Amino acid sequence: MDTPTTSSPIAHGQPWTVAGTTISSRFFLGTSHYPSPQVMSDAVRASGTEVLTVGLRRLQPESGGGNSFWQRIQALGCHILPNTAGCHSAEEAITLAQMAREIFGTTWIKLEVVGDDYTLQPDTHGTVHAATVLAKEGFAVFAYTTDDLVIAQRLRDAGCAAVMPWAAPIGTGRGPLNPFALETMRRRLPDTVLVVDAGLGRPSHAAAVMELGFDAVLLNTAVAQAGDPVRMARAFADGVAAGRAAYESTPMPERAAAQASTPTVGVPFWHAP
Amino acid sequence: MKVSLNGEAIETDAPNLQALLLARGYELQGAFACAVNKTFVPRPKWPAHTLNSGDRIDIVTPITGG
Repeated sequence: MDTPTTSSPIAHGQPWTVAGTTISSRFFLGTSHYPSPQVMSDAVRASGTEVLTVGLRRLQPESGGGNSFWQRIQALGCHILPNTAGCHSAEEAITLAQMAREIFGTTWIKLEVVGDDYTLQPDTHGTVHAATVLAKEGFAVFAYTTDDLVIAQRLRDAGCAAVMPWAAPIGTGRGPLNPFALETMRRRLPDTVLVVDAGLGRPSHAAAVMELGFDAVLLNTAVAQAGDPVRMARAFADGVAAGRAAYESTPMPERAAAQASTPTVGVPFWHAP
Repeated sequence: MKVSLNGEAIETDAPNLQALLLARGYELQGAFACAVNKTFVPRPKWPAHTLNSGDRIDIVTPITGG
């Protein structure tokens, strides 16, 4: 089936700044689980993203030193956000961040310290410790965490460039399980760059958290595992943009009672008794 | 001496990290980074980083990631 495409521009809105870098898109995209490398490249372009996450894994000798994946990523021209996925301690995450800095030539690091293998829930204590060390070493730390407000405050105090609470466990696609916690975090940390990372499954989820005032979203599986990743990438881009525009437009307050939209003055068929 | 390279036990007589990389067929200009015993070893220090029996060496390269 041919994939319908659109050439209309994504309504990014005003540029914004994260880790000292000004960008337009508020949609960070992962690079795993796509049906093919070409689909990944096409989805990245369709998404309009300017930030891509990548990982690091052991290199076997027979691979020499070449890396076609890395060459493909470089060709996309995005900012690279390497992750420390798979690290189970602050020590491992710090070392992997240092290795990433050398390979990618960036101080940006998506800090992940796994605390539980079943839920992939982050070890928030280890994350705060690693963030503190890495920030002092000059890294721009994008810290993956839960929706715990106090941990988010600790990560802000550690000097993180961005605090990235989950919406739901990684790869579940369940959407924001605790919108109240996310809304509270946004209100309590008004000057911190907050990115919802993990657990989003549909563009409406992305729009919902962007309406709360989050600065950006980061996701991977919801695009890569969609039936049509390229169209879904664009759908998420539009969802993110719509949510941001709604936040900046100040949504109306909710009311308990109905209120007619059409003026009540001059309603026909009403006559004084 | 015996060392562990990416989790695999190997015998080597390489005196330093760079010699080990060359002996194992790594292209030194490749996109990878090294750690010994969970401590990062910057590329300029590979030639001078002496290996010891029991060292655990990790070599990582970019892959897809979320």
